Amino acid sequence: MAGYLDTVSKDIARWRAAGLIDEATAAALVADAARHHRRRFSFGTVLAILAAVLLAAALLLLVAANWEAIPRLVRVAGIFAVILAGYAGGAILKGRDHSAFAEGLWIIAAVAFGGGIALVGQMYHLSGDEKDALFVWALGTALAAAALRSGPLTAGTVLLAGTWMLAVAMGGGPGRSVPLEFPLYAAVLWAVSVWTASIAARHLILLSLMLYAALLYLDDEALVVPALLAAVSAGAFAFGHFQPRLADWLTRLGGGLMVQGLLGFIAGMSIIQVELHEGSYFVAIAAVTFAGIVGALLMAGRDSRALRWLAYAGFIFELGFVYLTLLGTMLGTAGFFFAGGISLALLAWFISRIERRMAASTGDAGSGAGA
Amino acid sequence: MRHQSRYLLAIALAVAVIQIGVLASMIVSRAAILRDGREVVLEVHPVDPRDLLRGDYVRIGYNISSLPKEIFEGVSGETGDVDGSAVFVRLEAGEGGIWNAVSARFGEPPSAARAQNQVDIRGATPIGNVSQAQLIAVDYGIERFYLPEGEGKSIEEGLGERPFRMIVAVDDSGAAQIKAFYDGDTLIYREPLY
Repeated sequence: MAGYLDTVSKDIARWRAAGLIDEATAAALVADAARHHRRRFSFGTVLAILAAVLLAAALLLLVAANWEAIPRLVRVAGIFAVILAGYAGGAILKGRDHSAFAEGLWIIAAVAFGGGIALVGQMYHLSGDEKDALFVWALGTALAAAALRSGPLTAGTVLLAGTWMLAVAMGGGPGRSVPLEFPLYAAVLWAVSVWTASIAARHLILLSLMLYAALLYLDDEALVVPALLAAVSAGAFAFGHFQPRLADWLTRLGGGLMVQGLLGFIAGMSIIQVELHEGSYFVAIAAVTFAGIVGALLMAGRDSRALRWLAYAGFIFELGFVYLTLLGTMLGTAGFFFAGGISLALLAWFISRIERRMAASTGDAGSGAGA
Repeated sequence: MRHQSRYLLAIALAVAVIQIGVLASMIVSRAAILRDGREVVLEVHPVDPRDLLRGDYVRIGYNISSLPKEIFEGVSGETGDVDGSAVFVRLEAGEGGIWNAVSARFGEPPSAARAQNQVDIRGATPIGNVSQAQLIAVDYGIERFYLPEGEGKSIEEGLGERPFRMIVAVDDSGAAQIKAFYDGDTLIYREPLY
């Protein structure tokens, strides 16, 4: 991200030198870019949060070590004190405009809450209660995130909720094990993320829903689940492309919605292909997948580097999959190398075509604006 | 601004108090089982002598961790499907003071009236269909014994050789809580209330 500021400053300097803009405009542009940039991302914040995560991990390990030197009631009191000091101290720092350290302290307090749950389990030798413990931890963190309007805590809650969902799904037990109510929790967390203005949390929610769909499919192998995932994702992509303002207003993900849409589409189609790789529909499904990836690239690849790279990765993955499924049975090892070489050459040709096309259309747009 | 930050501090304190309250209520409810629950004595079985110590806890089983299918109610004879994963096991003191399972039921306590000398303990089974099973595994949430780091070796070794007993407190809902751990007749651990 620091690169962006460099690039735009150089561009502005060049425009100034070329006489396209005057000195005052140039200064205003640089100032605006710097201000906007700082608001979106700051190394200080990231380092403060990393420090908080490290300190919190140390706290959890201290609990796990079950250290006899500290009587357990003192341990409980210590955890309570960290929770109280963390939340209160964070609130005080927030009021004094030390936002990064405030968020860090809140993270430590929320982790201490989880550590407290673990400590109670250890004190009373509870077993098999990990899922409930994760759920209570996520609930408590969600409450803190919403009450304190904290973005990092919201993202943390989504991670805890996703871990809980995974733990329940992997826990076995009778019948369907994936918690069917998870989308409901995801919806609530989405609302919290809008309230706390956390884009990261919304991205994590979408990823957790894709994981949910995959686990749901593993549970009863119903193809309707990945089909729905692919269809909804493609719909989200199209919505983001054709109604960008409305989509951004609704989801507040920026261009991220389309990246997530493409990811969901590839994930859903991959599951369907793994399931039907021996069926006669395989070629048709693979063709739809290729068409979807290339279509996404042509529609939106110019504006988003993330989407471009995801599309390339998806394309290569799909190519490998189709090869292994259709040709792998017919050709020997030599054939594999031959086909691989030809495929890579075709891929290189295809990607360079796309990039040239994009460069050309960017150039058109630029000269159009100039004229 | 000053007003706003005081407001935020109040919210933060409320969050802290709620989370501390949740933790305290967990502690109080566990202590209540210890204080008021009825005591049963169970024989401790090593689960796997080679893999007893995992990190900082010893994994243990009991004489009631694996129960014969015949004592269960609520099993559909034809399909073997069971009503949910909750299991209620009725215990009665046997010879040598060790309590044994006399009956069990999926979903709710056994239908026969509970005698004065019996206790119902609640557990869960990971099995969804018991048509193939002869023995049904039941977990009671007391299958771990946490130890200070590095102190599990003697118990781990002893479990394979000598009989160990566990005194477990069970409350009216069937929730179980480890209360005291005996190596033969020697007390090696007694759970304090708090």
